Amino acid sequence: MATEDALRLYQAFVGQDPAEAIRVIESVRASGVTQAQLFDTLYVPAMALLGGAWANGEVDEFAFTQASVTAEQVGSFVVPPVGRQDTGVTVVVGVMQRDRHTVGKDIIAAALKESGYRVNDLGLDVRPADFLERIEETGARIVIVCAEMLAVAHSVVRVREMLTTAGHDDIVVLVAGSPFNAEPSLAREVGANGIVHGAESALRVLGKVVADLEGGEVR
Amino acid sequence: MTARSSQVLMAEGLARSEQVPAAVEACYDALAVNDAEPFAHCLLAHLLLEGDFYDEAIAEATRAIELDPDCSPAYLALGLAYDRRGGMWDQSVLVWHELAEVVPDLVTAHVQLGEAFAAAQFEEEAIDSWKRALELDPKEARALYNLAIAALKREGMATALPGFRKAGELDPSQDDLFFALLGIRSAPDRAVDPAKVREDRDSRLGAAALAARADDLFVTAELVRMVLDEDPDDADALALAAFTYLKQEAANEAMACALRAVAIKPDLATALYTLGVVYSRRAGLSKHAARVFIAFTKAASQHALAHVLLAESLLGLQRYSQSKKAYRVAIRLDPACVRARFGLAAVHLTEGLHAEADWEVRRAAYYDTRRQGLFWRLYDEYAEGGAS
Repeated sequence: MATEDALRLYQAFVGQDPAEAIRVIESVRASGVTQAQLFDTLYVPAMALLGGAWANGEVDEFAFTQASVTAEQVGSFVVPPVGRQDTGVTVVVGVMQRDRHTVGKDIIAAALKESGYRVNDLGLDVRPADFLERIEETGARIVIVCAEMLAVAHSVVRVREMLTTAGHDDIVVLVAGSPFNAEPSLAREVGANGIVHGAESALRVLGKVVADLEGGEVR
Repeated sequence: MTARSSQVLMAEGLARSEQVPAAVEACYDALAVNDAEPFAHCLLAHLLLEGDFYDEAIAEATRAIELDPDCSPAYLALGLAYDRRGGMWDQSVLVWHELAEVVPDLVTAHVQLGEAFAAAQFEEEAIDSWKRALELDPKEARALYNLAIAALKREGMATALPGFRKAGELDPSQDDLFFALLGIRSAPDRAVDPAKVREDRDSRLGAAALAARADDLFVTAELVRMVLDEDPDDADALALAAFTYLKQEAANEAMACALRAVAIKPDLATALYTLGVVYSRRAGLSKHAARVFIAFTKAASQHALAHVLLAESLLGLQRYSQSKKAYRVAIRLDPACVRARFGLAAVHLTEGLHAEADWEVRRAAYYDTRRQGLFWRLYDEYAEGGAS
């Protein structure tokens, strides 16, 4: 079945018939093949057939180029989705007050966005009250506070205190930055629930946190 | 021509043949005769730098510049010594700025100036310097790698990755990898004449590969066609055809040929390389590229760049720790691989390891300037009597 479909797609390429190529793709999709699988199950064998036909002289150079143009035209129909799906989880991110080191925060925020998190980036030099305000505005339940200087890292406790005072004990506070990497116990001291050691670590920790919060209403 | 003493000429000869201790001794002999010879001081600075004696190199290069402010190789040695010593970014910025003034068309001076600015946290100025380098040479890969790192710091990996790939494509070492897989190290001395190629499969394929090395893609296509007319299932010929199409930016033709080659011979390194490169250039196919490059690294495990390509595809999947492992393998295989060093720097940045990232960029600079033989180029130009 898959071979037959690939053959039909190949014939549509050689026939320079993008409409037919799309019809083939849609019929395969309708048979239950997911977008993520279309490329491997349909497009790749069709392209291999095209390569073989060119090699054995069934299609000449000009027809090969024209068929490749048709293949290009329908390429976007078979390529797996580029961005990750929206997780629906909002994360507030910012660099703590009196700190202007943004690189780590920017990289973490970009990685989270790319993975489908709704990132609310407060930027640098963020006051604890601003973290609270944005958490209340967005209903986020996860906040990542970045600090690259030791004195600033100690002051992250003010974010936790402010959240507690406002009745948001359940907010997950994650911290990031060199002082926490060097001295992990500092995270506990400032009332954080965990440490993020960079972009990949952020994705891993967030994955766990979201799984833990799944019982509740994660936004 | 600026006159040099016989002692300096002897030191030069020894230094060029990498007899460092003897060359150092000859420099000191030259300075014993005439302490005011800039050649001897800057040569000594270069040699001391090779031996990682940074403070001593700084002193000698500074003395050379004091003796002659147009002594461009001394600026190079001084700048490199500051950079490698670390913690002297303000001086480093000044020196590279001076060198860029003394030799305005020296691309590396602008790249180094940018790196010094970046180390001193002057990101905007750094970006301007790398852009200036690219104005002088649009194919300056190191400037592009640095711009990709700058993009990573501001907007994350998704923005930086195309920059890394673009820099990689401009880097001639990527083509070198393909030809190394075919056992070809350098371009042929003479153009390949298809009429003179023996009429057997191996001779035709060998000649086709040589023609491709010399960028004569028409001849390559003609010879590959002859091979395929004899045997349409010749995977090696299909892989070479795929590469030829790739060089002409015909991605779908390249993909079709490479897929056919892989269908015939699943572990054919040349086909896997081309297929992986085609996939890596397409949005949404990072996972496919990684899969192909994993197979490629198995087929070409001793080639550093194979691991770099895998690492870059893993970056696209946000698998930074796996990417780091692949970059480390690449660096172990080839410590001078600039592309791997910059990639590893990028991974370090994603982990918040800024000092480690800076160190990798500095190592990349070290190997890149060494590879270019920049000191000797400037030295010879200076000896000829001009800065450039």
